[in-house]
Amino acid sequence: MGTTFKIILLLSTMFLISCEGLFDYSPYQIDFEGENKGVNATNLDRLLKTNQSDTITIAFTGDTHNYFDELAYFVDKVNTLPNIDFVIHVGDIADFGLPKQYLWGNSYLLNLQVPYLVLIGNHDLVGNGLEAYKEMFGDFDFSFVYQDIKFVFLNTNSLEFGYNGNVPNLDWLSQQLFPSDDFSKAVVVFHMPPGIGFDPELELGFYQSLSAHNNVIMSVHGHQHHHEVYYPTADSIPFVNVYGVEHRMMTLVKIYQDKIYVENEAF
Amino acid sequence: MWKMRHFSHWFLLLCILTFINNTQAQSHVGKYDWLLPDYAKLQYAGGIGFMSAGVGYTFVHQRIDATFFYGYVPKGIAIDDLSSVSLQFTAKLIRIRISENYQLLPLNFGWFIHHTFGSEYWINLPSHYPPEYYWWSPGRNAGIFIGGELKTKWLARKTPASGIAIYARIGTRGLYLASKVGNSSIPITDIIELGFGIALYR
Repeated sequence: MGTTFKIILLLSTMFLISCEGLFDYSPYQIDFEGENKGVNATNLDRLLKTNQSDTITIAFTGDTHNYFDELAYFVDKVNTLPNIDFVIHVGDIADFGLPKQYLWGNSYLLNLQVPYLVLIGNHDLVGNGLEAYKEMFGDFDFSFVYQDIKFVFLNTNSLEFGYNGNVPNLDWLSQQLFPSDDFSKAVVVFHMPPGIGFDPELELGFYQSLSAHNNVIMSVHGHQHHHEVYYPTADSIPFVNVYGVEHRMMTLVKIYQDKIYVENEAF
Repeated sequence: MWKMRHFSHWFLLLCILTFINNTQAQSHVGKYDWLLPDYAKLQYAGGIGFMSAGVGYTFVHQRIDATFFYGYVPKGIAIDDLSSVSLQFTAKLIRIRISENYQLLPLNFGWFIHHTFGSEYWINLPSHYPPEYYWWSPGRNAGIFIGGELKTKWLARKTPASGIAIYARIGTRGLYLASKVGNSSIPITDIIELGFGIALYR
C-alpha cells in the first residue's frame, strides 16, 4: 500500500500543478484582479491625460451578448482608425451577467489602443452581475468633462431594479446637466431607451431633464441592436441608436464646435 | 436569502450526521438501513463550490450514482460567499479490477443540475418581467462532465467503511457552452470546470 499511496500522491500533485486555472468554484465567483478592476476609472485617467484637439471622435459599440469574436473584430478595426479619442460600449457586455463573461468582454477591450468606457446594460445585471459590474467597471452613473463637453453615463435599466422609481436617477441627471462653468454642452449615454424595461413613470421626467437647459447635443443608447438617428424630444435632441456588435458595424460620432456628425463603419 | 443559506448549513450537518451514524451502525441491521446513503463525498472545485460535501446512492450494480452535494465558496475566494446545492448523476461505464484492493473506473459520464442560493439567482423569471424576457435562469444551470475514479479498500479493515476512493472530473455547463458556440476566440480551457474529491463507501 505504501508504494501505491506514494505514486498516487505524486500523480495527484503533478495533476494539480498542471491544471491550475481550470478549477472552477462557481459560475458566480467574482475574483477580478489588476486590469479587470476599476476599468472605467483607469481609462478615464488615461483619457483626461491625452492631448486634446478641436474635434472629438468616439467609436461606439454595444450589445456584445454572445458575439465575442465580433467584439475582437471591432477592436482590431478601431486600432486601425486614426483620430479616435475613445470608445464607448453601450452595455450588455455579459449576456448572462456571468463574471466569466465580464472577463471575456474586457479581455478584448483591453487590446484597444485608445481609452474605453463601458456602460451597464440590463443583461449585465442578471445574477450577481450588479456586483461584477461594480467590481470591474465602477459606478453605474458617472460623468466627466472632456474638451468642454460633459459626458453623462446613466443607468436606465429600470426593470432590473423592479421599477423602483430611482432608476434612472433623474435627480442625479438633472444635477449633472445643470449649467456650470466647466462645460458648455452635454452628451448623455445610456443602455436602454424609453420603452419596455424603462420605467414608464419616469419617461416624461427623463425627456424633460434632457431638455431642461438646452445643452444636450446628443443622446446615445443601445439595447435595440439596430442603428438609427431619431428625435423623440420636443426640442429635437438627436438620439443615436448604436448597432449591436453582431452587425459588424460601428457608429462613429464626431463632435466639432458643438455639432455632431454620425457615420457608420464596417468591421 | 440568509434563511436559505442557513437551511443549507443545517442540511450539510444532517448529511454528515447521517453518514457518521450510518458507518457506526454497520454491525446492526436496522429497519431503515436501506435509507442510509451508500457513500459520502468531499469534492474540491468542479464548478459546484470551493468545497462540496455530498451523499448519494448507487443503483444498477454500482453503475449509476446519484449524489446530492452542498457546495460553499467562502468570502475571500469570491467577493461574496456562495452557497449552492447540486444533484449529480454518474454512469460508470468501465470497471477494471487492478488487484484485490484496487479498482479503476476510468470512464464515468455525468450530468448535474446546480442551484445557487440567493434571490438574485432566480429559477423562475420574477413576476416584474414580461414573459420570456430572459430565456435562461441564473439560479439553475445544468452541466455535463467525464471523470475517473480509483476505488481502494483503504480504511476497510480499520473502520466500518468498505473503502475509500479518489476521483477527478472535468466538465462544463450549458451557459458556458452557449457562450463558447460561435466564438473561436474564447479558449476552451475557460469553459472547463475541473474538480476532484474523495468518496467514502459504506
